[in-house]
Amino acid sequence: MFLLNLSLGELLGLFAAASGVLVALYLLDRSRRRQAVATLRFWQSADRPSAVRHRRRIQQPWSLALQLISVALLLLAISQLRFGDPDAGTRDHVLILDTSAWMSARGPKGVLMTAARASALAYLRALPERDRVMVIRADALATPAIGFESNRRVLARAIAQSRPSSSALNLPQAFALARRMQRLESRQPGEIVYIGAGRIPRTDLGQVAAPPNLRLISLPPPGDNFGLRRLTVHRAAEDPQLWEISVAAHNYSRTAQTVRVGLLFAGAPVGTRTATLAPGEEKIIDFRYRNRSGGWLEARLLTADSFPDDDRATLEVPSEPSVPVTVFSDDPDSFRPVLAANSWMQARFERPSAYHPVESGIVVLDRFCPDSLPVVDSIWIEPPINRSPIPVRYVEHNVALARWRSDHPLAAGLRTKDLRLKQTEVFAAAPGDIPIAETDTGPIILARPGKPKMVLLGFHPERSEMRYELAAPLLFANTLRWMAPELFRRRELSATTVGGTTVTFEPDTDLAGLRVTADNQESLPYTLEGNTARFFTATPGTVRVQTGDRELVYSQILPQMADAVWLAPRQARRGIPSASTAGPANRELWPLLALLGLAGLVLEWQLYGRGRLPSAPAAHPAGRSEGMKPKRPRFLTRRRPPSTARRAS
Amino acid sequence: MPEETLIDRQFLEKLERLAIQWQRSFGGLAGGHNLSRFSGAGQEFLDHRHFHQGDDLRAVNWRAYLRLEKMFLKMFQVEPRVPVRLLLDTSRSMETGNPRKFDYSRQLAAALAYIALVRLDTVAIHPFAERFGESFKCAGGRHRIGPAVDFLSGLSLGSRTNFEELARQFISTYSQRGLVIVISDFLDDGDAERPLQFMADFGHELLLIHLWAEEDRTPPWDGELELTDLESGQRLEVSFDQDARQRYTAAFDDYGRRLQSLAYRTGGRYVGLSTSLALEDAIFGSLMRAQGVAQK
Repeated sequence: MFLLNLSLGELLGLFAAASGVLVALYLLDRSRRRQAVATLRFWQSADRPSAVRHRRRIQQPWSLALQLISVALLLLAISQLRFGDPDAGTRDHVLILDTSAWMSARGPKGVLMTAARASALAYLRALPERDRVMVIRADALATPAIGFESNRRVLARAIAQSRPSSSALNLPQAFALARRMQRLESRQPGEIVYIGAGRIPRTDLGQVAAPPNLRLISLPPPGDNFGLRRLTVHRAAEDPQLWEISVAAHNYSRTAQTVRVGLLFAGAPVGTRTATLAPGEEKIIDFRYRNRSGGWLEARLLTADSFPDDDRATLEVPSEPSVPVTVFSDDPDSFRPVLAANSWMQARFERPSAYHPVESGIVVLDRFCPDSLPVVDSIWIEPPINRSPIPVRYVEHNVALARWRSDHPLAAGLRTKDLRLKQTEVFAAAPGDIPIAETDTGPIILARPGKPKMVLLGFHPERSEMRYELAAPLLFANTLRWMAPELFRRRELSATTVGGTTVTFEPDTDLAGLRVTADNQESLPYTLEGNTARFFTATPGTVRVQTGDRELVYSQILPQMADAVWLAPRQARRGIPSASTAGPANRELWPLLALLGLAGLVLEWQLYGRGRLPSAPAAHPAGRSEGMKPKRPRFLTRRRPPSTARRAS
Repeated sequence: MPEETLIDRQFLEKLERLAIQWQRSFGGLAGGHNLSRFSGAGQEFLDHRHFHQGDDLRAVNWRAYLRLEKMFLKMFQVEPRVPVRLLLDTSRSMETGNPRKFDYSRQLAAALAYIALVRLDTVAIHPFAERFGESFKCAGGRHRIGPAVDFLSGLSLGSRTNFEELARQFISTYSQRGLVIVISDFLDDGDAERPLQFMADFGHELLLIHLWAEEDRTPPWDGELELTDLESGQRLEVSFDQDARQRYTAAFDDYGRRLQSLAYRTGGRYVGLSTSLALEDAIFGSLMRAQGVAQK
């Protein structure tokens, strides 16, 4: 016999305190009370003989005894009195419930997660009632769902609330957590039970250290599965309107599978490929699709399998950005080749006489200066000498271009050799202005940063001797890139699996401004090792990786499917234990004790309580006959009051 | 207690058809509503009152009827010689109960006085405790009720009751026989029955109105009690429970029966009233059934 909730000392202490309070209240309740009455003559006849009620301190001992017994029973109920050895058969088990993405797969008897929940409940039923169980939900992160608990309803609720996630199972971490919890929290360690599909990443196969007290409740294996692991979209380098799409499909089954992969854009099919995948093989299937507009791109496996969640991947493809360029020139043909070469430019040519303020994009002013300066970024070609926004010092003739400022993005990659210009304007640079190209006497191409940006050329590249140089179109390209860098940002979109993601950048990428952000624009933690960045997400979502002119968008919507099957060691116990091996179930006595205690209190209140109502007195006999005719009484006696009462004064 | 709280006018109006009733004929005790072998009628006009069905048509004021088209009854003053005597207990034992027996008895006395005044009877109120206090006598119609109420309101509780002394004093003071209404709880340490018997034997007709509070008859307390007699100050320690309560009530009822027997034996009447009973119910119910008052 033992107490589950209290020690014997605590129980006795509580009982002593409660008894003291009870006896004090009892004595107070039964203490003599003073009362003023109209007469004492009837009290004397009602009083009991003194021999019976002789000076006893406790007038109703059975009332007090009943109260004390009831309180003792209630305290025993609170302390959960139980029979037997407190340590015998009471063990603490850890139930690892696999909630990885594989648990959404269908087996021969339905979804694996449903079967796992049923097995977990069956295991709970097989355990002795006093055994405590801790439930751990295991996917990429092992998370305790509930601590060691013997209440089966609470445990069943925690099991019922377990849902498959989108990440792969990290079994080594789950076993380590289970062992640690048993070591730290349990009184007598029981079993570590794993219920799941046993699919783990191949890299974890060598790291799984099965605990010696492991019990494996395996589930029926899922059917054949082949799924998408990645959908990547980026624009072709040679053609910005051409999307290069690659779909990675993986065969998780043990037989070769021929799968059909379909591609849809905005709901319309745009391509289909068929591929044969060997067991465990992952194959890349490429598509090319030309489109300027944005929309939802979807890759879909058209062959049915047991796990449909990884058969479909979608990406939101942005529309191609562009910027309007307004050219005010009397010689528009000299600009057409360089502007038409860039598909992100929407060039518009107008005469200087038709000048009007431009409110967006970029404006090019060829040998022309408007009355008011443009409010947008502007490129000035040979501005009028006396109306130039940056003063022209003088005009030089037959002068050699001495140098390019190649450390600035505007002059990146520009080289000319022995280039002599028949005529060019030389500008008077102000502090902050950036000279891009210079002669020996001064800058002939000048950039003024700020808002709006401004670039002034003292000569026209396409009308001067420079038109035969490669530097001419590159100068325009650099200028436009400096003014509208977002147009030239390279985007790569990927639909990947949740979990860890590794991004490898090109060797010359500047990673100083690397940003990794989630859907809510909050930064995600990441590690950077050389040119490789790694980050982790446990839930589906979109992650953006931005660095310089490159943006990578990872739409992590595909479940992370482990590709290896973990085999438990032979010595591990298997299946649901029978009730006989689990030990006899203990019956809880506290409801019975509580009922007995309450019944005792109710009985005491009924028998001795002050709440017991006095029986209604009969009507006054004289009062009833008051309306009768006066009549002689038949018999009249006089009774003397009993002499047993004591008069105190 | 002010007049407004002692008894209200609406209740007094309900009492106008009532008359105090006595069984015997007493020389000098007037009252046309009571059968009497003594002659004598009022000659002097006193007051008007509303005509009620059954009133003597000869007393209707026809002049007033022609003028106001309402029937008024002329009332004539008679000269009563022996008043109806109201003996009102003001001892300390009347303090118990809710409402107090003392308050209830004063309201009852005021009501009886009003009934008598309406019928042109003379009423003498004799408050008593150990001895008789200052008495009050009123006669001459309903409009004289004010001083009577003032007198009752001004009463205060006295000490203990001594019916033997009271009976001796009463008989020696008032030699002429008549109706004696005793409003009391009759809780005398001595014997109240023998003095009452003595008064009845002397020739008075007794109307005993026995008042009690519910706690006087059925004490609500339980357990160990230390009781103090309000009149004598004596104390008693008792252990009280349900059985004791039943014995107590039986003894109390037995005492009431003895008072009732005394009243009936001497040709009088007895009314037992609990203060929990509404005054209107007490007058129109218990008192009327006991023929203490009657509708005329």
